[in-house]
Amino acid sequence: MGLQILIVDDSPAMRAFIRRVVKLSGIEVENYFEAANGAEALERLAANPVDAVLTDISMPVMDGEQFVRKMREAGPFQSTPVIVISTDATIHRIHTMRALGAVGYLQKPFGPEQLRDELDRVLAVHHE
Amino acid sequence: MNDVVSEMDWLIGALLHSCGEHVLDTMFFSPVLGEADPRAGTGRQRLASRLHFHGTPSGDFEVDADPGIARSLAAGFLGIDESEVTDSLEDEVMAEFCNMTCGSALSSLGRVEHFSLETPATTRPNEFAPAVDGVRRAFLLDGGTLSACLRVDFDRSCNHA
Repeated sequence: MGLQILIVDDSPAMRAFIRRVVKLSGIEVENYFEAANGAEALERLAANPVDAVLTDISMPVMDGEQFVRKMREAGPFQSTPVIVISTDATIHRIHTMRALGAVGYLQKPFGPEQLRDELDRVLAVHHE
Repeated sequence: MNDVVSEMDWLIGALLHSCGEHVLDTMFFSPVLGEADPRAGTGRQRLASRLHFHGTPSGDFEVDADPGIARSLAAGFLGIDESEVTDSLEDEVMAEFCNMTCGSALSSLGRVEHFSLETPATTRPNEFAPAVDGVRRAFLLDGGTLSACLRVDFDRSCNHA
């Protein structure tokens, strides 16, 4: 049984790239869901529970910080693992996102191996 | 003072080189064949993408490429044939390259506390028309050249992040 993955990024090209890299990584995915910002992502989550969320930070309407904060407030997806995918790897940003509840952080650029390792690590911790 | 400036320019140049090469290789599946003359695009049509970043510090970043290189990068990034790449996809992928290379360089710079990247703007000038006056490095790729330029304003930083 494959994973259910939600990809949140305002760039359709980046969402397509992430799908491609997930495929190249060998991770078995049953369904990809996509959203262009945090508000859309919350709607997708309400309709389709997922195993993991891969999200950008800088997005219009609702950015990644607001999105992760909303996810962690309450509700059925409060404990869904979130991996942040961002160009920003400053300590300040990583600490902020982890404090909000992200359990993984992947800096762009990244390849299939890095994505698989981070997803495996996050899902293993989640299922402990 | 000049020694300090040139040392920082040298560091930025080295970061542009390593980050640009890493981004091209990892996410665009496009190996760098060597360094190129930063003004190699003079007199030729280009595709350029620029962004402003603010935080501590603030500054500007720009990439420009031969149109053929932009098409090839878009195909590599999306995993599609070059014949399927539209102008709009080229623009979008160049903006992603701009965003990633800038973010990667700033994250590696060491003196950066936090930053926020604005959305890149992509244009198609008829010839090489640099809008950012900073440290520029150029890459020779299969089929053309691509350059990246970073200006960091350490003394005009603002806290908008």
